[in-house]
Amino acid sequence: MRLRPILALVLLLVPLTAVGVTVTSPQGPSEVFARGELLDVVALLRLAGAEVQFAPAAGSYNAAAGGHEVQFTPGGSLAVVDGRLTPLPGPLRLVDGHVMGSLPTAAALIGPFGWSLRGTAAAPELAKVGGTEQLELSVVRAPTGTTLVLRGTKQRPRVTTLPGSVTLLFPAPVVLARPVVPEGELLEAELHDDTLTLRLAPGTEVASSYPLEDPPRFVLRLAKAEPVAPMVTPRAGPLVVLDPGHGGEDLGARGPGGESEKEITLAVARATAARLQAAGVTARLTREGDETVSLTDRTALANRLQATVFLSIHVNASPARGAHGAETYYMSVDASDPQAAQAAARENASVPPDTLQLILWDLAHVANLNNSARLARVVQERLNALQGIRDRGIRQAPFVVLTGATMPSTLVEVGFLSNAQEAGRLLARDTQEEIAAALVDAIAEYLHSPTPAPAPTAVSTP
Amino acid sequence: MKALRPIVATLAVIALLVTVVALSRRRSAPPPAAAAGATPAPTPVPGKLVLFFPGDDALLHRELREVPELPEGNPLRIRLVVEELVAGSRDGYAPAFSWAAVVQAVFVDRQGNAYVDLSTPPADASTGTDGELALAYSTVNSVIANCPGVRRVQVLLGGRQVSTLGHLDLSRPLSPNLKLVAP
Repeated sequence: MRLRPILALVLLLVPLTAVGVTVTSPQGPSEVFARGELLDVVALLRLAGAEVQFAPAAGSYNAAAGGHEVQFTPGGSLAVVDGRLTPLPGPLRLVDGHVMGSLPTAAALIGPFGWSLRGTAAAPELAKVGGTEQLELSVVRAPTGTTLVLRGTKQRPRVTTLPGSVTLLFPAPVVLARPVVPEGELLEAELHDDTLTLRLAPGTEVASSYPLEDPPRFVLRLAKAEPVAPMVTPRAGPLVVLDPGHGGEDLGARGPGGESEKEITLAVARATAARLQAAGVTARLTREGDETVSLTDRTALANRLQATVFLSIHVNASPARGAHGAETYYMSVDASDPQAAQAAARENASVPPDTLQLILWDLAHVANLNNSARLARVVQERLNALQGIRDRGIRQAPFVVLTGATMPSTLVEVGFLSNAQEAGRLLARDTQEEIAAALVDAIAEYLHSPTPAPAPTAVSTP
Repeated sequence: MKALRPIVATLAVIALLVTVVALSRRRSAPPPAAAAGATPAPTPVPGKLVLFFPGDDALLHRELREVPELPEGNPLRIRLVVEELVAGSRDGYAPAFSWAAVVQAVFVDRQGNAYVDLSTPPADASTGTDGELALAYSTVNSVIANCPGVRRVQVLLGGRQVSTLGHLDLSRPLSPNLKLVAP
């Protein structure tokens, strides 16, 4: 009986002694610090020939070899791989002075240097990826749809589509140069030697796939699997799409008494739509009730309906408690964005668009920006005319809901819910009707002004 | 059972010895700083920071702040700038962040993009457009004003890229927005 405590002690102590695993690599077996499922990533990187340095000023590690560079920080789940921020499959932890990560995480850090890490955490296998093509998968999202682009391959894979996924079978094994970042309709990517399986969002399917040259890449164009939206019949007059901000689970800003932004935006949008209809202007809402609608779906509706104007209605909140008044925004673009738009146009065309198409895209983009500024100005002017509303002006910022709009679009903040006095006014039905009337006047002024609204900027795809 | 006693005792001694060796190896594992070799501690150099805080007027306001030590390396300097923003305004402006954010990590890539990873805001944090603009552009403008070579800044939350907090596109590094700054 007295032996039991000793046996228990032995059983407890033995697992603690497991501090290393043997890694098989072309140089032979090497011992690497390990703890459970976690491996010493710095040691593995050094085994893969990378020079690893700790930068005390940055608090991060820098691994470099063969012109590739990877930066990572213990405690984070991100790395900068060749100058590009990349999520890792799991977090990096500091354990007894060692930077530790799971086998997939270590593999993601080693991959850019042309090495693969397979096997299990108990028996990892490090191997040089010699002659194997390194693929880079990127997701290009644009108003016309999402495209998956596989760069770095001259191989033409066999594409098999299944509900919810697509499988690419390459003639020879390939590796991914960096972990795939789930984005948009792409939920997950899994590679086994020569087979890449991409899991797609429900209702998404591959519309077409084709190789492109210079540089070599393979393109998958995605489309909604649901029945195609009915063709937009030619309209006699303009169509205004009003977007009541937030909704459903997304309450938006909260007032002092717990009031939600989503209720005010819906009330104002409904009142605005009713007044527009009464004036003979067709209006549609991006949400008819208290429902969750993604930002991209809101813009997509306006694009699908080929709206003349897109107006997103919001109520503001600020850490500055004294902030009050109305402000109107339109899209801002960085200098690099026209290039991004051109790239999106290029990747989203089922055939490479010609120069004329790119020029038309750019011209329409600039024209829409100018008209968005004009729309924002009339909206702000009409709101300024209302009693008791402070003019906070017109501003530009990169709003998600305006990013994909292919028509003149603005986002209006009709007041501050974080300001108790203004919140009380915004909750009043009379104020909501006054704001709706001002918005209708602004839209009417915009639509009847001499400058014609440009055509939507979608690049035509056969 | 008596016959087993020597075996068990031997096993226990072996286990203890191996554990002692293993623990001593762990203790001898190099700390991160030591892994890169000893770096002489720099002499603290006091300096001034230009920080941007939101005001009631929808604009960001400059606030000069003296700091006892201005690090030379950008990652450390970026961390200092953001931590000073989190500490709040001394001139009475509103907070840049609606929660007590902690700077978890800082990266700077070769293109001059800085990535600032902040702790996740509480689930019930209500920011609004102005709150998001304050968060994003107080950080972007302040970092770029104080850190030479940084051209754009992306705010990460909880170690992850976030596409948006509801309004602004935070999925990529942002350039400074001087139109939001008070004259």
